[in-house]
Amino acid sequence: MLGFLEKYGLFYLTGGWPASEIGGFAGTLILAGVGLAVCFPLAILIGLARTSQRHAFFISATIWVYALRGIPLLMVLLWSYFLLPELTGHSFTPFTTAMAAIIVYESAFMAEIVRAGIQGLPKGQMEAARSIGLGYWQAMREVILPQALVNMIPSFVNQFVSTVKATSIVYIIGVSELTFVAQQINNVEVGNPIRTYVVLAFFYFIPCWGLSLLSRKIEHSIKARQSSAAAVR
Amino acid sequence: MASDRQGAMVELRGLEKSFGSYKVLDGISGAVNKGEVIVVCGPSGSGKSTMIRTINRLEEIDGGSIIVDSRDIHDKAYDINTLRSKIGFVFQQYNLFPHLSALQNVTLSPIKVAKMPKAEAADLAAHLLEKVGLKDKINAMPANLSGGQQQRVAIARALAQNASVMLLDEPTSALDPEMVGEVLQVIQKLAEEGMTMMVVTHEMGFASKAADVVWFMDQGRIIEKAKPEAFFNNPTHPRLQKFLSDLLH
Repeated sequence: MLGFLEKYGLFYLTGGWPASEIGGFAGTLILAGVGLAVCFPLAILIGLARTSQRHAFFISATIWVYALRGIPLLMVLLWSYFLLPELTGHSFTPFTTAMAAIIVYESAFMAEIVRAGIQGLPKGQMEAARSIGLGYWQAMREVILPQALVNMIPSFVNQFVSTVKATSIVYIIGVSELTFVAQQINNVEVGNPIRTYVVLAFFYFIPCWGLSLLSRKIEHSIKARQSSAAAVR
Repeated sequence: MASDRQGAMVELRGLEKSFGSYKVLDGISGAVNKGEVIVVCGPSGSGKSTMIRTINRLEEIDGGSIIVDSRDIHDKAYDINTLRSKIGFVFQQYNLFPHLSALQNVTLSPIKVAKMPKAEAADLAAHLLEKVGLKDKINAMPANLSGGQQQRVAIARALAQNASVMLLDEPTSALDPEMVGEVLQVIQKLAEEGMTMMVVTHEMGFASKAADVVWFMDQGRIIEKAKPEAFFNNPTHPRLQKFLSDLLH
């Protein structure tokens, strides 16, 4: 086992890098991390639209969210793979294609977290913000989002965990992320697929487990803060 | 009619509003003159809160019109944020911003709406917090303040808008009894300083001391408007007579 890790450890971690594009575990984290980071502002806008009084915004955002939540990531991925070059006339690397698919797909889930975070605040917060003369965007920026985003942190962490795992699907279009790398190792080490895939499982499990613990911790500290706030009241 | 309302800061003309088939405002008219304190009372569900909330457009009306400081507030050319910055609103649940300190709660509107320099806004806020008796709580977070203290910060926050009228929607109803007094004192001080105010409250003692005129609402209508003395001693409407006698027992 140690010899196996010594031989393939770095390959699991970074794929063929630096000879080729960064991949492996690092590629997986970049896909999930950068994907969600880019997704974040998009999700805030869609989430705001989901709470909007304006029908046009509300309806388009709702269609976006429901449509994407109703289909598998794999389908969005295949669409991106075949449709994106067709629509734009450019060809994209598998990594870019996968990134685009993840951003689009996750925006629906992240937007729902944003919506729930905003709607979870007492109505009086928006009313008070507007009453002192703040406009809608000012009220969002100064009063609503600073509170709502803190409450959203555990959900965001959970979404990151689920995205890390979901990225495994993109090996199918040839992105050399963690699962793809394991696949390649398995092609060389034909005799022992169990070892190869157990190591793969651990690479997914460890960060996701760590993040889940972190999310639980954050959740507890937020709850503690809120209840101490309520007790004083 | 118009002649006796020359000094009107707020004028309500035939307000109508329904929630479905339930008529919550049924032809409300009345005026609040500059420097006047109007206390609005009545049984719950009579439309008091809805009425006061229509004045800064937290609630929209189905009919009638509202004039604040000689402008029709529903005029399309009238920016709603400008309107609201001229009206201080104090909520039953205080609605302080919990992520901001007492000082930051008070400076938010001066800085963001009135575009006041930060140092000047901080001076103003410190002065107003002192005025409501919270000089030593300037940097406290709302969670560490009692209900009465939170409501006084909320009053300071509304005063910081340099508003021409203050609307207070049951400002003491959510408070523990021992904290009602400290908040009413602050409101009464404002009244004595000549602030134009409309206060929805169940505190009849406050009404008799601070009000220039008391309005009694029932089922979406104002059924009695009187000076406090007449209001409490010689109520004419049977519904008001019952309301007052219920309060005593």
